[in-house]
Amino acid sequence: MRAFSLPGLGVGLLILVLAVLTLYPLGMLVYGSLHTTPPGETGDFSLAGYRALATSRNAAVLANTVGISLVKTILSMVLALGLAWIVARTDTPGRRTMEALIAIPFFIPPVLTATAWGMLATPRGGLINLGWTGLTGSSEPLVNIYSYGGVVWHMMQYTTPFLFLLFATAFKSMDPSLEESSRMAGASSWATFRRVTLSLMLPITTSAFILAFVRGVEAFESPMFFGTPARIHVLTTEIYNLIHHDTEPDYQAATALALFVMALLSLLIVWQWRILGSRSFLTVTGRGYQPRVTPLGRWRWFTFGIALAFIFVSVALPIGQLALGSFFKFFGFYRRDMLTLQHYRDVWESRLFFRALSNTLLLGFAGATATMLLGSLAAYVVVRTRLPVRRVLEVLAWLPWMMPGMVLAVGLLWAYALLPGPIALYGTRWALLIAYVTLSLPLAVRTMAGALSRISADLEECSRVHGATFWTTFRRILLSLSWPSFAVGWIFLFFIILRELSASILLYGPGSEVLSVVVMRLWSEGKAEEVSVIALIMLLFVFAFRFLEARIVKSHEVGSW
Amino acid sequence: MVKSPAVFILAGSLAQSSLEWPKVVDAAKREGKVVLYSALVGAPSTSRITEAFEVKYGIPVETLEARASELLERVRTEQASGRSLGDVSYNGSTATERQMHDSVFVPHGGLSSASRLAAPFTSDGTRLPAFVIHFGILVNTELVKPSEEPRSWKDLLLPRWKGQILADDVHPVGSGSLFFQATYGKLGREFHEKLAAQDPSFTRDPRGSQRRVARGEYPVFLPSSLAAMKELDGLPLKTVVPSEGVVFVLYQTAVFKNAPHPNAARLFMDFLLSDEAQAIYAEDGYGLVVEASQKNTSRPPLLGTSDLATMAEMARLAREIYK
Repeated sequence: MRAFSLPGLGVGLLILVLAVLTLYPLGMLVYGSLHTTPPGETGDFSLAGYRALATSRNAAVLANTVGISLVKTILSMVLALGLAWIVARTDTPGRRTMEALIAIPFFIPPVLTATAWGMLATPRGGLINLGWTGLTGSSEPLVNIYSYGGVVWHMMQYTTPFLFLLFATAFKSMDPSLEESSRMAGASSWATFRRVTLSLMLPITTSAFILAFVRGVEAFESPMFFGTPARIHVLTTEIYNLIHHDTEPDYQAATALALFVMALLSLLIVWQWRILGSRSFLTVTGRGYQPRVTPLGRWRWFTFGIALAFIFVSVALPIGQLALGSFFKFFGFYRRDMLTLQHYRDVWESRLFFRALSNTLLLGFAGATATMLLGSLAAYVVVRTRLPVRRVLEVLAWLPWMMPGMVLAVGLLWAYALLPGPIALYGTRWALLIAYVTLSLPLAVRTMAGALSRISADLEECSRVHGATFWTTFRRILLSLSWPSFAVGWIFLFFIILRELSASILLYGPGSEVLSVVVMRLWSEGKAEEVSVIALIMLLFVFAFRFLEARIVKSHEVGSW
Repeated sequence: MVKSPAVFILAGSLAQSSLEWPKVVDAAKREGKVVLYSALVGAPSTSRITEAFEVKYGIPVETLEARASELLERVRTEQASGRSLGDVSYNGSTATERQMHDSVFVPHGGLSSASRLAAPFTSDGTRLPAFVIHFGILVNTELVKPSEEPRSWKDLLLPRWKGQILADDVHPVGSGSLFFQATYGKLGREFHEKLAAQDPSFTRDPRGSQRRVARGEYPVFLPSSLAAMKELDGLPLKTVVPSEGVVFVLYQTAVFKNAPHPNAARLFMDFLLSDEAQAIYAEDGYGLVVEASQKNTSRPPLLGTSDLATMAEMARLAREIYK
């Protein structure tokens, strides 16, 4: 590992920016958890919020939450690793098309997939159960979406494509020479995959595990739609009740519970530090290579079948529902007399939609770009230096991910509405932009840390020996070589910003509406069909960005170095 | 505490008689816009009314919509920071009552249309009724014959409805708890104990639940807004008005303290009581609060609504009965 060369002032500034972005709103939440009233009101300091945590109900809810998230993370990891390996490292037919399709569910609004799965798998009249009872004559339904399994299944619709994108990128940017050495030393394909390939992927798999597990703990839509009716309670539904559904909003208890969750989840970072230790994961060196493709023979039709089954269940079914529903007066009532283009007309004629779209695209572009650049710099310090502050930076960058979104949103409101003096960010697009950068920073840092840890320091050294400055080296060597990860991270962030609702609803002002707020309005009014139209428009953006990404990544092909 | 200029303007307006109303209109036009904080998320009536107001007075209305709980915290934080963006609150009566306790409003100072309010609706000088949302029992007309429709809330206790009722969750604040509070006082604890024995399935997605009933997943859903029927036209659904009466939410408006456009706020509140605005509410299935407008619309009997003073106790009772 080479000596640190980012200017000292730069590191100081970076830490300051991250501290302001993350610690300031979190500090407001700590205050809220220790005070009988929210910031800005007279009250007393007390530990009542924390004392209220120690109940048997909370212990049961915590166990539920951890159990559900663990199961869905493990299942999604296995599925995503398999799918990523199939499309990135095998000769499975149609793998390029399948790569584009497998990631799609991540970009569909959860309320719509929840509606679709509700229609498919409700025990009373769900299409799957109707088919099952019709075929077998059984009086018992085959599946029940209102159950633990239903909650896990719906969560997996998002986690699997998310992890798939991370893993596929990592598989493709891996130098196969180590795997070849293993094979030449007599190891079987399975042993090579397990001992070499997966070991090399340890930084990204541990990061991905943490990202997915934490998101599972903080997931809201799946447990709300499918868990609550079955009396399955998780931490987010408890926090939601405390803030939105209690007789009196109890911010002290809600923030205390969220901070407790954050403290618990932070232990995962320590776990990752212990696992990764000081091992090296270099796979991108100065030598040229092409990722190795494993010929599967007849088995490639088996892998083709697995990928196709996933695409059918997780992509074709929900998108088919969206597309179909958007042309009928009512979602799920597919009769000829209900065919209509009215929902498209309504969206087309909505001034609010276009204003929100323009605000969202602006904030999405600016937010994703700024966050990826900031995240890349933070990842550089974390991965490429031995500075003691790198651990501080890493923790700072993780913190917003560890805090349930609906609570962090309140912290952001308190932080930016109560700014002292003449700084008037509240109600402007700047407040939204800062909130989006804060919320998406952890993913940017993790994506880039995983990518940078695979690049040999020799390349950087060469650049500097030839007289390049830090910034030139950073841009032309590190960002260029990690471009596939940068591009995938950018798309993730863009769509996370596009979907973000908790902070948006508290920080937007008249005129600065964003798409998620418009979708929430339409959904609240029962207009699932117009939400479907907007979701389809969003999917067009996904296809456009994925196409552009593929073109750009191809022009920066790692193997050409 | 130093009052902002906006408060002075409003305080000055308190002394204005109805003869001075044109001055309020002029001042409103000079202020140039009004910002509405609405908890009635996504309602088409809101945009139709704001457009009618813009046409009549040439004053644009900017609407910020969020759930009641989000608006509560947002407004509280705005007031604490002295950075008020909103002019008019547009929220249910219990949320508005809670905000009264937080002292986030100022008196509206007299409005030219306030005398048009029909009993039992009145203004206390700060809060002004605008319209009413009625809730009844939603029925799938393909699954439930007219002769078997529940005519009253108590009909839901008949054996045929056991395991057949989809209901908005009575535990958290929402239309389910509204139903519990409004009926507990009038129909008693025994009614709810028997209803709990019917094993209702709880949900927290009222809009999605209406569709589930339409698809035949359940034959009935409660409580369901009568105003929702306009959007559901074409589906095999009907909302029954129970003989005891509907449960209801009264929507109220009020001017925020430190409102940037206080006169435009008053003018907008006044406009909501006009025949023009009330006609829009009527078309969208809401109950009216103005006598003249009520004459040509159906007025279901009102059973009850929620009360901030008893909400905590009612929540405890709901947890006790519906375990």
